[in-house]
Amino acid sequence: MTKVAIVGTGQTAHARRRTDVSQAGLAREAVVEALLDANLTMDDIDSVVVASGPAMFGAVNQPEKWLVDALGARYKPVVRITSGGGTGLAGALAAINQIKGGSARRVLVVAYDKLSEGALQASISTLYDPFWGREFAVGIMGFSAAYWHARMQRLGHTEEAAALVAVKNRKNAMLNPKAHVKREVTVEEVLASRPLCWPIKVLDVPPISDGACAVIFSGEADAEAITDRPAWVHGMSYWGEADNGPDRSMIQSEPLQLAAAKVYKDAGITNPFRQFDVAELQEPYTCFELSYYEGLGLCPEGGAAELIASGETELTGSLPVNPSGGCMGANPIGATALIRLAEAAMQVTGKAGDHQVKDAQRALVQAGGGWANLRGVAVVGAEK
Amino acid sequence: MASTTQRRVAVVGSAQTLLADERPDLQHVDLITEVVTRALKGTGIRVEDIDFVIDSGSDFLDGRSISNCGFLGAMAAHHKEESRVEEDGLWALSYAVNKLTAGPASIGLVIGYSKPSEGDVDAFWSGMLEPFLQRPVGLTHETAAGLYAQSYLATAGLNADDLDVVSDSAWRKAAANPRVCAPTPSGDDWRSAVASPLRRSDYARPVDGAVAILLAIEEVAEQTTESPVWVTGVGSAIDQHFLAGREPDTLPAAGYALRSALRMAGLASAADFDIVEVSATSTVGELMVLEALDVAEPYKAIELYRSDDPRINPSGGALPADVIMATGLARLHESVLRLARRGEHHDNTARTALVHGTGGFAMQNHCVVTLEVA
Repeated sequence: MTKVAIVGTGQTAHARRRTDVSQAGLAREAVVEALLDANLTMDDIDSVVVASGPAMFGAVNQPEKWLVDALGARYKPVVRITSGGGTGLAGALAAINQIKGGSARRVLVVAYDKLSEGALQASISTLYDPFWGREFAVGIMGFSAAYWHARMQRLGHTEEAAALVAVKNRKNAMLNPKAHVKREVTVEEVLASRPLCWPIKVLDVPPISDGACAVIFSGEADAEAITDRPAWVHGMSYWGEADNGPDRSMIQSEPLQLAAAKVYKDAGITNPFRQFDVAELQEPYTCFELSYYEGLGLCPEGGAAELIASGETELTGSLPVNPSGGCMGANPIGATALIRLAEAAMQVTGKAGDHQVKDAQRALVQAGGGWANLRGVAVVGAEK
Repeated sequence: MASTTQRRVAVVGSAQTLLADERPDLQHVDLITEVVTRALKGTGIRVEDIDFVIDSGSDFLDGRSISNCGFLGAMAAHHKEESRVEEDGLWALSYAVNKLTAGPASIGLVIGYSKPSEGDVDAFWSGMLEPFLQRPVGLTHETAAGLYAQSYLATAGLNADDLDVVSDSAWRKAAANPRVCAPTPSGDDWRSAVASPLRRSDYARPVDGAVAILLAIEEVAEQTTESPVWVTGVGSAIDQHFLAGREPDTLPAAGYALRSALRMAGLASAADFDIVEVSATSTVGELMVLEALDVAEPYKAIELYRSDDPRINPSGGALPADVIMATGLARLHESVLRLARRGEHHDNTARTALVHGTGGFAMQNHCVVTLEVA
């Protein structure tokens, strides 16, 4: 069984509105950068996986078909994986299976969203069951607020603790040239910002962005021929949970815990807080980063508020979380999960520039989507 | 790439709902639950034994974003690895085969479903067109098929009436297929003009339905069933999106998909398959697919229908029953029934099958799977 590595990554300049390119042009921009990073051309690519947010976001059905011409993918296998906010990681997992299953040697994954072109929350509201859920569905924020409130009561995930996530990630985004939101905030500003669906306030929420990310994967022999610094994938998994709300825990995400357990076993992780040098977590709202600390075992249940307050997850701490700024710096939803993976690969290969974590050898990646019921985890490292 | 040490993958169970132009009595979850339950039945494999689920469906047709989310329970995906491939279910099957070959998973469930009766099928197709140059000219999936047909008929030296043998054959076989509700077409509409030279009878009829395929690696398959159907080859390839950039009356991407599947299967040609189940959105599309798959010489596929070749779409194919996101997977199910000699096919002698699925506007994307029984 071959090992799989990331041999190239690329990202667009993310922005609130990219009027200079179409969806296809946006995807191409990231792909060109990834090919340059790996010093490859499309002739070297055996297969393409496209990942994007729900097709209704961009009002083009099966948009990977449109991308074919701009990517130069004619007569190659092209398939789209879609899984809500975590779709980039689900797409990466499909690519890894193609390589390990022997059907391709070098696979390009491109993930994107052009959220300036669709009705985002209206599209998300259609996620709910048309008979039993849609009357009271208001985008994704309503149940997220309910989840947070439950965790606030039971786990002490206070508004102040979540505000520290906003402060940290927005500060980190200042150092990331790809981030488009560059404004530092204070805890007081976050707490005083306008409530959207209490306890979620404006500054707990990431921006809405146009952006794309591309990652090239290959098997072991190809990776070592392509680059002297591959980012090895030590594990990756993506789990689902049936959406019957009353049966689900609002306190801990079970699919996240299941995915983490599987990936940690594959990657030989027994003490995640000590063994990881850096983490990139997809935080659609600040409160989710706190929840993921616990779900990923970075601290005990109920310990997230203490962990963020300790400063250990800041850029200078012992386990920096989201040195890229996370979603707070840029949030093209369909690309966000793949951006987390690309950033993790950049960290362990020393290519992260100003937001590089010193001597990062092993990185943790988390992403998720759907009605908080699809959860993915990955581990990448400098060591094979 | 395929090495002799790679894990072999087999179909150990499969099921399909009745395909009909509308199923107002059943919701999506009901269609899915029916096939998942029936695919497991008699295999000894339980829901908790399934390692992962890969599914195909369309947010546009379902009228729901991330629609897989709402069906995870019905799909037996609760607290399992799951992914949605938004393309015909044959691509979901390709993913599952890769995952089983890669290991360590040993049992995977593949599901495809559509309920086009509740959606706007024309919008489903035209919504795929890039919005700047192709959408504004009013191109539809029906006119695009008409453009292909004009070029094809001219080159092949055929006229529109010649195509009746293709549609008649498809609907006659579908009428004999207990899994398809296909009343014999009649009335003025049936041969009425749609997009010159094509008539209503030349187009695939959208139907509601679901298909589930249970896959397992060799060790499990041989304990589970006396007639595992081996997946020997899988390949896929896509064409350009811009219609003007494609070949006018051939489908080269289907040829690329075929060659990639044959390479994996270690076969030199597509000449000797006992069953050929292909997908198409029009009669001319079906002829072009058969030619691209080397089952017929260029522009000569019509002869397969004139001679009533029994290998070609014994189920009736996609024209009388296009489940849209599961049409290729239904072709695979129909092939499996015959190869495994299930039910009314108990005395079937076919050993190999060539299965084809398509997706995208005007059949832009193609997937080929080869099957074999001992």
